[in-house]
Amino acid sequence: MSFTPKTGAFSGKINAVTLGTGDKAIVIGGQNVLPFYTFDAPIENAPKIGVEVSDLAAQWNWPELSAFYAGCTTMVDYAKKAESIEGADFICLNFPGADPNGEDRSVADCVADAKAVAEVVTKPIVVMGCKNLEKDAELFTAMAEALAGKNVLFMSAKNENYKTVGASVALANGQKLGAETADDINLAKQLNIMLKGLNVNPESVVMDIGTAAVGYGYEYAASTFDRIRLAALAQGDADLQMPILAAVCNDTWGVKESTASEEDEPAWGCREERAISMEVSTAAADLTGGADAVVLRHPASVATIKKFITELV
Amino acid sequence: MPKVIFQIEGAEAVEIACNPGDNLLELARRANVAIDAPCSGNGSCGKCRVKLITGEVETIKSRHITDEEFEAGWRLSCNCKVVGDCTVFVPDIASAYQSRMKTADLSSPKEIAIFEDCQAQLKESGIAFQNNYRAVVLQMAEPTLDDTMPDNERLTWAIQDALGVEQVKIPFAVMSKLASTLREYNFRVCVKGELQSDTFFCMEICDPEDTAIVGCAIDIGTTTVTMVLTDLTSGKLLAKGSSGNGQIRYGADVINRIIEQSKEGGRKKLQDAIIKETLTPIIANLCRTAKISARSILCLCIASNTTMNHLLLGVDADPVRMEPYIPSFFAWEGLTAGDLKLPANPLAQVRLAPNIGSYVGGDITAGTLATGLWDSDEMSLFIDLGTNGEIVFGNRDFMMTCACSAGPAFEGGDISCGMRATDGAIEACTIDKDTMEPTLTIVGEAGQKPVGICGSGIIDIISELFRCGIINARGLFARDGKRVGRDAHGMGRYILATAEESETGREVSINEVDIDNFIRAKGAIFSAIDTMLSAVDMTPECIDRVYVAGGIGSGINMKNSVNIGMLPDVELEKYRYIGNSSLTGAYAMVMSDQANAKCNELMTNMTYLELSTHPGYMDAFVAACFLPHTDASLFPNSVQEM
Repeated sequence: MSFTPKTGAFSGKINAVTLGTGDKAIVIGGQNVLPFYTFDAPIENAPKIGVEVSDLAAQWNWPELSAFYAGCTTMVDYAKKAESIEGADFICLNFPGADPNGEDRSVADCVADAKAVAEVVTKPIVVMGCKNLEKDAELFTAMAEALAGKNVLFMSAKNENYKTVGASVALANGQKLGAETADDINLAKQLNIMLKGLNVNPESVVMDIGTAAVGYGYEYAASTFDRIRLAALAQGDADLQMPILAAVCNDTWGVKESTASEEDEPAWGCREERAISMEVSTAAADLTGGADAVVLRHPASVATIKKFITELV
Repeated sequence: MPKVIFQIEGAEAVEIACNPGDNLLELARRANVAIDAPCSGNGSCGKCRVKLITGEVETIKSRHITDEEFEAGWRLSCNCKVVGDCTVFVPDIASAYQSRMKTADLSSPKEIAIFEDCQAQLKESGIAFQNNYRAVVLQMAEPTLDDTMPDNERLTWAIQDALGVEQVKIPFAVMSKLASTLREYNFRVCVKGELQSDTFFCMEICDPEDTAIVGCAIDIGTTTVTMVLTDLTSGKLLAKGSSGNGQIRYGADVINRIIEQSKEGGRKKLQDAIIKETLTPIIANLCRTAKISARSILCLCIASNTTMNHLLLGVDADPVRMEPYIPSFFAWEGLTAGDLKLPANPLAQVRLAPNIGSYVGGDITAGTLATGLWDSDEMSLFIDLGTNGEIVFGNRDFMMTCACSAGPAFEGGDISCGMRATDGAIEACTIDKDTMEPTLTIVGEAGQKPVGICGSGIIDIISELFRCGIINARGLFARDGKRVGRDAHGMGRYILATAEESETGREVSINEVDIDNFIRAKGAIFSAIDTMLSAVDMTPECIDRVYVAGGIGSGINMKNSVNIGMLPDVELEKYRYIGNSSLTGAYAMVMSDQANAKCNELMTNMTYLELSTHPGYMDAFVAACFLPHTDASLFPNSVQEM
């Protein structure tokens, strides 16, 4: 008698969320198995990779990265270049420059940038704010309106501003909405319930459940990924069946391994290689834990992670 | 030397001399002026506000005081230093009502029923409701030149004759007044004492008309102290009263109190606050009400949490707080009223309900005794809602127990308009879901206007706000209307009584911070229940009976408690509200020697589960801090109508 492996697809299923429009539109989520468990059931939509385009990209100081973007001055330039990277499924406009405690760029300037980018790129767009609650609410409200019809994902609504952000992004402008919480399955679920209470369609929500650079308390992130995914699939918890996006670049490029100079840490080797390694290791861990999309900064990371995904799906 | 005058609202002014640089709150404590400082004076709670009338103080402006208030003279007493003569006004806030003494009306059958039920319950379980305290009126022959027997022998003979005992012990306290008492009453006296097998231990000799022998059962809660006087012969309740725990000004919770007692002279301060300022006035008051002399109190039983009984005895409670959390004693015998200088017969035994751990104390063993769950096949859950929530689960075969820190919210603490369940407390509430108008039930006589909100009222209000969609699952305001107000920072509040509708001329309302505090309290309780059930691999369906105790009001609306996810969603018929079970248990321990022995046996039969080191607890807590719960399937009967 030949051996027939048992397959273990779950009855619960991750919501499939479409980003962007036209033939470059992508779908994240949709599977009913654990990450890369293709032996249990086919994975319809392989995890997607986004490339970060920051309004502070001019300050990036890693030789290879700078060489790649040589000649780019505006966000549009960066976005066009980013879109051309092999393996990039979407681009992620990041606005750390809007932070009132930093560069404090005006909402109007940021919106103008986003609009200009949206006119030239064809791949889907994800927008990330500056993490200041009030400013993000303002920024997202204006941008959701300016980018109407583009089916953009906004990262993210949080516990403190979900009403404003949810109402403007999802209800008024029909865009996709991110829901961000910090490494806690219950808080993630509670925010999703609150959004549902606001009449935001759960099918248009993507979660950012918090991650960390590997080695920086990553075990918390790992257990949160595992538990959320198991709740969604094994227990069929509809309040946790949203796909997960991990903003890897935000966590890995600021840690010591990515920033410390070679003079300060001669034993650690090339600074840029370290930064890429941090980004790749974190992204690989997130994807293995259940992320349906990751946002990366370095073209080399994109290439590696693309290969990783292709070989496993 | 500067002088500070405290003008206390509704009371006489107090004057005290001090040194420049003295802290105003410390000074108030020294002058016995009650200023509420739940945070123990570190400036975080904002409750210790006073108003400067004349003079100056050196202060740091606090976020708890607005610019206008600061201009008007309002200060936080904890961050004021005295620089010269000054007069400050101490307002009569809702929390001051909390500390006022209240004598219960024992003519109400409801008050008495709980004690009678407990008695019946214990008798059914085979516990004899008897003790060995006796009062006997003796008529002795007056001595003559022919009858030269000394007084002590004369008394001994008379007692042997009356009670059939072989020996009589007359301690020094009685000996010293024997001669004068016998002669004052012409050798017809009443003798009170305890039968100890073949010996009678004589505790009091007095007027033959005064034959009362009285027991005193005391529940010392972190926030509230309650006691009853009972006739040791008949078991009849003679008086019942309560008051705030005088230690409250040294911190609202046990941890702050332990920190305070660790300071120099702290143990004495905390002990005085409970014995001299709290227990003594209540006992004196109840003796007056019951028309008995304090020396007739021959036995006391104190049920309290571990920290409270340590602070009462004045033994160092610091190890209770520090890992590995070892108290000085669980059970301990040999304490007398004289040791503590309580106003009772100095020889009266003080029984302490035994502790089980640092955070499950005698209040729970006494409460467990009162529920009778230890003699039942039914799987019972016993929940004591207090500053610390304690939970017991089990039946005659096993008992598990754990404690969680709920904070003082159930007793009205940590809530801006919170108060104990005394006159003027809103104890129940319904809200019209269309008009959002409240209907209130207020403690007190008909026509009593609201002063504040007690625990049972808060449960009702939050459940009704949630049902009517006025607040969302996070406890934030979602609707606007006449009854919903917002402050300058956008924080919402629900107005239960406007300034005109209230007793005090101050608005009675519940705000988002109050609601958040309460959601944490209920989250702590539910997650503890949840964690304990899963520790024994059981689910709420396994529960046959739920006993809910706590002095949070004359009753608690179980439906509403389930609606907000505080108590498990089981059939409402399974719930029993048993009032202050710690007090009921203490009453049984005073009245019945067998009940006292049983309680000490229960202590050894309970398994203590330490939640702080339990891996799943924090997670369960976060999940429970939501209305009704993050996992709504646990509460199928919770409703939000709008």
